[in-house]
Amino acid sequence: MENTLQSVPQNWYLLLSSFLFCIGVMGVLFRRNAIIILMCVELMLNSVNLLLVSYSSYAGNNDGQVFVFFIMVVAAAEVAVGLALLVSIFRNIASTDIDVLSKLKW
Amino acid sequence: MNETLTDIFSIPVILIPLLPLLGFFVISLFGKQLKKSSGWLGSFTVIASFLCSLYIFLNLPAESSTTITISNWFYFKDIFIPIAFLIDSLTVTMLLVVTGVGALIHIYSIGYMHHDEGFSRFFSYLNLFIFFMLMLVMGSNYLIMFIGWEGVGLCSYLLIGFWFKNDAYNDAAKKAFIMNRIGDLGFLIGMFILLFHFGSLEYQNVFEKASLLGSGNFTLFAATLCLFIGAIGKSAQIPLYTWLPDAMAGPTPVSALIHAATMVTAGVYMIARSNILFALAPLTSTIILCVGIATAFFAAIIGLKQNDIKKVLAYSTVSQLGYMFAAIGVGAYKAAIFHVVTHAFFKALLFLGSGSVIHAMSGEQDIRKMGGLKKSLPITHFTFLIGTLAISGVPFFAGFFSKDEILASIYANQSLLLFTVLTITTVISAVYMFRLYFLTFLGDFRGTEDQKKHLHKSPATITVPLIILAILATLGGFLGMPEIFHAKHFLGDYLSSSITNNSANYASHYFEYGLILISIVVITIVIFSTYRFYVSKKNLPESDEIELNIFSKLVSNKFYVDEIYDKIFVRPLMLLSNLFLVLVDKLFIDLIVNLTGFLTVSSARVLRLIQSGNTGFYLFTMVICMVVLLLFQIFSII
Amino acid sequence: MNTLIYTACLGLFCMLAEIFNLRKWIIPTVVLGLAVIFSLNLNDWNHPSSHYNDMLRVDNFSVAFSGLALLICTFLFMLSSDFYRSEENQKHISDYMAILVFVLCGALMMVSFGNLVMLFLGIETLSISLYVMAGSNRNDLRSNEAGFKYFLLGAFTSGFLLFGIALIYGASNSFNLQDIYTYVSSNGNNISPLFIVGMLLMIFAMLFKISAAPFHFWAPDVYEGSPALVTAFMSTLVKIAAFAAFYRLISNCFLFTLQKAELILTVSCIATLFIGNLTALVQDNFKRLLAFSGISHAGYMLLAIISLQSNTDSVLFYYATGYALSSIAAFAVVIAVIGITNSEKINSLNGLGKKNPILATLLTMAMLSLAGIPPFAGFFGKYFIFSEALRNGYSYLVLIAIINSIIGVYYYLKPVMAMYGGAANQDEIKLPISYSLVLWTCVILSLLLGIFPDLFVTLL
Repeated sequence: MENTLQSVPQNWYLLLSSFLFCIGVMGVLFRRNAIIILMCVELMLNSVNLLLVSYSSYAGNNDGQVFVFFIMVVAAAEVAVGLALLVSIFRNIASTDIDVLSKLKW
Repeated sequence: MNETLTDIFSIPVILIPLLPLLGFFVISLFGKQLKKSSGWLGSFTVIASFLCSLYIFLNLPAESSTTITISNWFYFKDIFIPIAFLIDSLTVTMLLVVTGVGALIHIYSIGYMHHDEGFSRFFSYLNLFIFFMLMLVMGSNYLIMFIGWEGVGLCSYLLIGFWFKNDAYNDAAKKAFIMNRIGDLGFLIGMFILLFHFGSLEYQNVFEKASLLGSGNFTLFAATLCLFIGAIGKSAQIPLYTWLPDAMAGPTPVSALIHAATMVTAGVYMIARSNILFALAPLTSTIILCVGIATAFFAAIIGLKQNDIKKVLAYSTVSQLGYMFAAIGVGAYKAAIFHVVTHAFFKALLFLGSGSVIHAMSGEQDIRKMGGLKKSLPITHFTFLIGTLAISGVPFFAGFFSKDEILASIYANQSLLLFTVLTITTVISAVYMFRLYFLTFLGDFRGTEDQKKHLHKSPATITVPLIILAILATLGGFLGMPEIFHAKHFLGDYLSSSITNNSANYASHYFEYGLILISIVVITIVIFSTYRFYVSKKNLPESDEIELNIFSKLVSNKFYVDEIYDKIFVRPLMLLSNLFLVLVDKLFIDLIVNLTGFLTVSSARVLRLIQSGNTGFYLFTMVICMVVLLLFQIFSII
Repeated sequence: MNTLIYTACLGLFCMLAEIFNLRKWIIPTVVLGLAVIFSLNLNDWNHPSSHYNDMLRVDNFSVAFSGLALLICTFLFMLSSDFYRSEENQKHISDYMAILVFVLCGALMMVSFGNLVMLFLGIETLSISLYVMAGSNRNDLRSNEAGFKYFLLGAFTSGFLLFGIALIYGASNSFNLQDIYTYVSSNGNNISPLFIVGMLLMIFAMLFKISAAPFHFWAPDVYEGSPALVTAFMSTLVKIAAFAAFYRLISNCFLFTLQKAELILTVSCIATLFIGNLTALVQDNFKRLLAFSGISHAGYMLLAIISLQSNTDSVLFYYATGYALSSIAAFAVVIAVIGITNSEKINSLNGLGKKNPILATLLTMAMLSLAGIPPFAGFFGKYFIFSEALRNGYSYLVLIAIINSIIGVYYYLKPVMAMYGGAANQDEIKLPISYSLVLWTCVILSLLLGIFPDLFVTLL
């Protein structure tokens, strides 16, 4: 498996995950729907996962791959909490547009 | 420096100032709950302090001294200031006077202030005053003394303006405070000079290093002169004496405690404490002598024409303080301290007596409206009489010995002229005191019917302190009898360890005999003439409306000193400060301050808009900032 | 390490207590448990050790900050019994308590991590629990908004943190602090640019956690919207844990490369100081005011990190302790006043000085300490940081910090002026014993810290 991963040069992984990461960031910045923003955050995290796995493979230690599991668990927990918060907001204002959420300011 | 002494005395020494301080805190915090018991609490703390002082007095050998360090306050470069108490015979003498007389006056106040709504506030101030006064006399360096010095000034201010709803009283309080500030500035400068030249404010270090300088050194002259200016303010000497008569606006116990017995003698104490410095500065001593005698004479003359019972006593206090400074001026420090002690007894007695009179007369202070109080106030009358005898220098009462000692030393050390002036002053003070006594207690009652009905004896809390003080005023003089009686000069011997520079010569025995004889004759003449004038002939001081001849007018208006000060100092200063107010403050400083404030607040108004509440905006700004910072950082590294 | 395990067990107990119907016992047990753990924690003093393959590393720094975190939590849990006294809240008490204990777990991980994985897990444990707590007032839209804002911004920055960690991993092949340190020190000038970018991204994420500008946006809104007790957790426990983690990260990993982030840190420090202090001037909501005050304090602490020296950790610890104590005291009063008046405005304090002079005095002292006026701990904390920074040649930063402290005095005295002026707004506040206990302890400790600063400064 390591050989399969290493058949692609290391920097390409870096470029790919940076690219994915930027797509995630752009998504967060330019979308107003909270659920899509959540998905974009997931995309950011997953780009990191990809990067970690590739590094782990090139470095020859498993730390990075283990970390990926932690990130997945945390991301799952984060999404669960995020969706729960979203549900309670939706119950109150019947919208998932983050622009509506600007009562607290100044 | 005896290690064991320090051990034995550290606890009582710390307790002495601590107890009144605790009393102050407890009474001011829980005054409402304590109600009238705050009076007893306040008195108790001072009595306890007195007992501690007594313990030290009985156990500390007269020739030894000890320094008790509470904490090392601060170091600054090589200047080291500890919070430490110096306990020697001079301190112990002052401790006994302050706590003893203080305790009596506290007890007296319980009766005197009984109906006042500020009862517990009064006692908290009194306790605070005692605390600061104790700091003043106990401190082992000038800075601790200065703390006490300022503290008693503050308490004096608070207590003069105790009835703060009356504007005139507030003005009197401010006047006292401001005049004291002028003196305090002198003290402060004196302290700086000492610190600058000797690198220390500890008495011992300063004195040791000063002794090396020798007599007539200019530094010493400047330092002592500045310190003396401080004493002028605090002890109400010419030219800063005018606050003391006005200070009589405070409750009478305050006048007795602060403006007669203790605080005003702080200046005398301070100079006696630094006797080594002053003995090395003959020029300053001469100035002190002149100021003292002038004050004594001047104030006595004004006292002749005063009609307010407390004002007479106030001018008499100024005059008596003049005596003390005169004694200091000729180097008779022991005589000065002796007079401080006896003066504390009889002047406190007189003030408390006058308080008792005022109390009985429902607040009347004008002696023209009194008279004949002998019958209704027997104890007050008797004790007041003793006080009068003592202050007039009637032989064998307290004032006689101390006053004679001062007169004798002035005769022995200085010119006959000054001696004559001071002797005349003694006669004048006898005159105004007997005038006061006769007008108040003998003759017919001249008050209103209401007052006559209301006349009542004073409660035990008032009379007991009076009696105790009367005993002290009678016997106090035996602490220091002149040589001719072949008795020991207890106080003089006791003080010899702390006052080492008592440079005054003693007068010959013949002179002493002569002085006593003359005193007796003169006093008898004074008593008879004033009795004839005020009691037999029923002459009354003129009421305010009647035109007086120029001299009387001058005297009863106190030589217009207040008015002159107003014209010369107060008004030009006010003008100048108004000018500054308009030109510098309003135009310039206010503009800068307001502009800064305005700019700050308006920039805050703009800045808060960043916090728009929109999550999308937050995210966007964060990312932009991140990118910009990242790029800048990376470029700066490359 | 035991500290963390015991604390986690305490959290489990809270969850189980609901099943066994022991709700009434939760808060007393937690307070007691935390006190016990606090004393157990002290056992580790001067016994450095590492656990789980160097995932957690116990040293004096971590013991000190764990102790502080435990102390803060003990105080805050003492306040919680009264805060959650309503029936509605009592139903969920075990959830609330469990989650808050897990916040503490996260904080403990953050102050004693030995591996970047652990740092990440600590931050996430702390943050996810806080997202829930910030939004815990489900029917209040403000609370919802606070929770969601915090979540969105927090999750977003987690991405950057992770990306930074991944880059560092790529460069150094390890998550272990020691290994990374060795990598940095052995490579000298040859450090991979990826490593630098990774470090900068991590610093950005940490700046977010300590609410330093320009990543501070979440703090005021979230502080204002969250329930007051949760705000107290955020402004004390979270801020201090984040700072300890930041400091630990920098001093153990990035010490040699910190220069390469100096521009960012300096700009952030200046911006934080100005934004925190200036914006606080125009606030009328007390919680929001405290949020901005927290931001400005982050600025002062950043100054300590910029001028990093061997004894900066004790200065930082002293500062954090002083800040935490005064903040808790301030929040205790705020919570009490909100409980009576239902208003978070500063002017709801009007007349407190007359109605409840003791409460007013305590709040005044807390505010003076926050403003940095002697003899309170706040003054010496600032003094140490400033003198440390001056010694290392950051005089212009110190000048800016001093100007900001002066501005700070103005808004810290605003609540004080409100208390002693203005007509009375509220009935007399009867404080529960636990409140007075917390208030008095905090203020007295803060005074003691101010009077004997030497004891703490030489501690670490």
